Amino acid sequence: MESQAMIKDKPTFQGLTNNVSLYISKSHASSRINKTGSWRFARPVYENKTAPCSASCPAGNYIPKVVMHLSKENIHGAFRALIQENPFPATCGRVCFHTCESACNRGSQDQAVAFRCLERYIGDMAITENFPLDAKSLAAGNAGNIKVAILGAGPAGLSAAFFLTRLGFSCEIFESTDKAGGVMQWGIPSHRLPKSVLDHEIQRIVNMGIKIHYNHSLDAEFMTTAHHSFGAMFISPGLSVPLTMGIEGESHIHQGLQLLMDIQTKDMPLKQGRVAVIGGGNTAIDVARSLKRLGADPVIVYRRRKQDMPAFAQEIVDTEKEGIEIIELKSPVAVQKIDKGFILNLVSMAPVTEKGNDGRTRVMPVDNTPETMIFSEIYSGIGATLHDSWKADADAPESAIKLDHVDFHLKDIPFLYGGDCVNDVQSVTHAIASGKEAAIALSAYVDSGIDSVKKTVDICRLGAGKALSMEIYLQGERRLNSDHVVTDTEINLDYFTSTPRIEPGHIPLKTSVTSFKEVEKTFTREAAMAEALRCYQCGFCNECENCRIFCPEISITRQNGKKMIDLDYCKGCGVCSVECPRNAITMEEEK
Amino acid sequence: MKHVIEGSHAISEAVKLARVDVVSGYPITPQTHIIEAISEYCANGEMKAKFIPVESEHSAMAAVVGAASTGVRTFTATSSHGLALMHEMLHWAAGARLPIVLGEVNRALGPGWNIWMDQSDSLAQRDTGWIQLYCENGQEAMDTTLFAFRLAELVNLPVMVVIDAFFVSHTFEPVAIPEQEHVDDFLPPYEPRIALDPDNPFALFQMAPPNVYMEMRQSIHRAMEHTLDIYHEVENEFDAVFHRRYGMIEEINCENADIILVTTGSATSTARQVQMDMEKQGERFGILKIKTFRPFPGKAICNALQKAKKVAVLDRNFSFGSGGIFAQEVKGALQVLSQGPVVFNYIAGLGGRDITPDIISEVYLKTRDRDLPPCGSEWLGTSPRDEN
Repeated sequence: MESQAMIKDKPTFQGLTNNVSLYISKSHASSRINKTGSWRFARPVYENKTAPCSASCPAGNYIPKVVMHLSKENIHGAFRALIQENPFPATCGRVCFHTCESACNRGSQDQAVAFRCLERYIGDMAITENFPLDAKSLAAGNAGNIKVAILGAGPAGLSAAFFLTRLGFSCEIFESTDKAGGVMQWGIPSHRLPKSVLDHEIQRIVNMGIKIHYNHSLDAEFMTTAHHSFGAMFISPGLSVPLTMGIEGESHIHQGLQLLMDIQTKDMPLKQGRVAVIGGGNTAIDVARSLKRLGADPVIVYRRRKQDMPAFAQEIVDTEKEGIEIIELKSPVAVQKIDKGFILNLVSMAPVTEKGNDGRTRVMPVDNTPETMIFSEIYSGIGATLHDSWKADADAPESAIKLDHVDFHLKDIPFLYGGDCVNDVQSVTHAIASGKEAAIALSAYVDSGIDSVKKTVDICRLGAGKALSMEIYLQGERRLNSDHVVTDTEINLDYFTSTPRIEPGHIPLKTSVTSFKEVEKTFTREAAMAEALRCYQCGFCNECENCRIFCPEISITRQNGKKMIDLDYCKGCGVCSVECPRNAITMEEEK
Repeated sequence: MKHVIEGSHAISEAVKLARVDVVSGYPITPQTHIIEAISEYCANGEMKAKFIPVESEHSAMAAVVGAASTGVRTFTATSSHGLALMHEMLHWAAGARLPIVLGEVNRALGPGWNIWMDQSDSLAQRDTGWIQLYCENGQEAMDTTLFAFRLAELVNLPVMVVIDAFFVSHTFEPVAIPEQEHVDDFLPPYEPRIALDPDNPFALFQMAPPNVYMEMRQSIHRAMEHTLDIYHEVENEFDAVFHRRYGMIEEINCENADIILVTTGSATSTARQVQMDMEKQGERFGILKIKTFRPFPGKAICNALQKAKKVAVLDRNFSFGSGGIFAQEVKGALQVLSQGPVVFNYIAGLGGRDITPDIISEVYLKTRDRDLPPCGSEWLGTSPRDEN
């Protein structure tokens, strides 16, 4: 410091100021001689982290990045980020049970960000404006054109085809019906998922060069011969056989799944009268809401409590809004036919303290005297199981590698089982997870052998959870993100004022319960942008520039669009890290 | 044309007329009205200034220090605890030789919590290197503020314009508000001698080791002395435009007085009335009003007081363990006389207590009727209280 020149300013003013003494320290030598970086004992590091929404999303959607693009009105960018991890944004934007929103950090400030609806908005924009699949950024692998046979064109099979094709595999899908989509096609009613939306998203996958063989029988003979022509099999047969209750008069009960299928394929006659739907899962809900639309007055009968229903919570709320009664703690014991309908005998159930093997609260009959209710029809919606022909095959031998969403059997060629027959939660999003995991596992196997499969899958995890990222597998920037899942306390709430969650709303109840028109509306552009701005974008640097603005040493600069920290002058004060609204800067102790 | 306005707003108006570029502000009673009016001028476009709301007085001063370093005209205002919190930055402003003007409304410090008139806050900043100008009424507050910018920019020292809490700050009086063109005649655009410039980078105010620090302090003192030298001339400029002047000190009948009362601020107005009454009764009573506390015009004060037999200094402040602060300064100034007047020191009007005509009369009579002052200061009007 002594070396700096002290300059005594010569008075330059005339008159009154002639002899003012003004001796201050002033130097044209740069103060950059003082390398304040030498004071540092901790350094800031730009480090994107894992957002809780992404970590909880079975499909591993890169939600903060998607929302960042959307909030900057870059819908193409948002779509590219989405499709990287999920081939069905418009579909998931409608039917996903959105674990992302339950995990959303914003929930502890006011309400979770309505990401499912944002995903739908982006997915729909991609459909109406026919966004191209950016093949260059998506395709990355080179699996030597190994042919993969995919059994079943449901969400798992289609997703497997989508991801495998990107990795350089050549896929053929064998489907037993005449349409692709599986349960999305015949199981989910069009008031939740319009078929035009689904068909567009399926076509987008097919257009990648995937061949689908329809009405193809998938019997044992096929299985024994197929592996001569293919290098690997992905088997996702789905659960197509309705479960039975084993009660007296069960033959009088219609299969709910069949009704859902018939609605898709036939002109259905109008129904009337009080109709019972037995079950508490999503099938029961869809059957009941479909019956309502066909003119009946459906009632859901469930043997456990309402809070025990496996159906997704929002579905239950929407069902009750439509005026469908849910009778809980009643278990059917017999059905009798009478002149004008059927008598359903029910016993009352009560929860008992000890839990079942599955961890759910058990119920036991209160007394064995059944009460009776009369219905014009009775439907069963208690779910479905795997067809017998697959059972022996799918039961994993000891040698199989059990992944989270896929069972990997190495026979003479790899057999990968995925979708509902493997997943503990049966949902479209879990099926997508199966497809992605299968693609990563198979690609890892082809590249580095069977021992690398589990290791590779682990590398692709988001946080410590089950969600996998294709971008990480493809060595994209996402692989640099830390596994740390950002918590709400790590968000700087000074930058986020409370604003209520925006939802697109529903069409009028009157219209919705009398037709199969889509119930939920979608965001306007303005509403989507406004909701996107509510997102904290946890752990994701969205170039807000706060760090640069607040750095007291002016040691954060931009070079070629990238932020650089000049460690010669960064004194490690941590202001950048504190002022980062979303925990994208980590302070690391100097070693 | 005269308008009936609050003393605080006289300062606000002057700041507006001075075409100040940057104002920072943090509210504190009894100063708030000053900054409040300025913030409104900035909001409604009457002033082109950048108004910086800050989170504390320390930052209020830091903000104008930063602004002034770029060569623009700056203002802020505060009181009491706010001024105390600013203390560190007051040193900076003076050491950096930045011509910042500060509106300071004299108020007591707590505890006991007290928002009323008391000079302890500004006098505690005596040694920071700021020019301090005390005002008697709204008009003087207006004029002194305009004057302060000119003076500050001429000598490169910050100036504190001091008014009494409530007695001046919240009192509505007729005040002549000058025309903008007249103000512009008196106060030319600021031509800074210190101004950071991104096109010509240099560093300011960095380390000053022992071989230069002392000279820098001396330079501040020289600028203070220079202020004494040019004060009269700057007042001539002011007078030429506005036809008013106040002087560093004002002598009221000092020429013929045996006893001279030394006052500051609004108490002077009360004393003027008592002085007139006494004079009619044949008493040889004069008043010396001190306006400029820093730099202290010792020579002028000495000249004004030297013929008197006794001097009574009325202090609205107290230095614990010593005495009234103005009395100490006056005594110091009189030391150069071989046979100077005897100095009596009276303490009155602390924490907003009124200084009434009766108290002034008491000061006069107590001084007249005794040959020598008691040891130390005399506290007037205090009553024995229960001590707990």
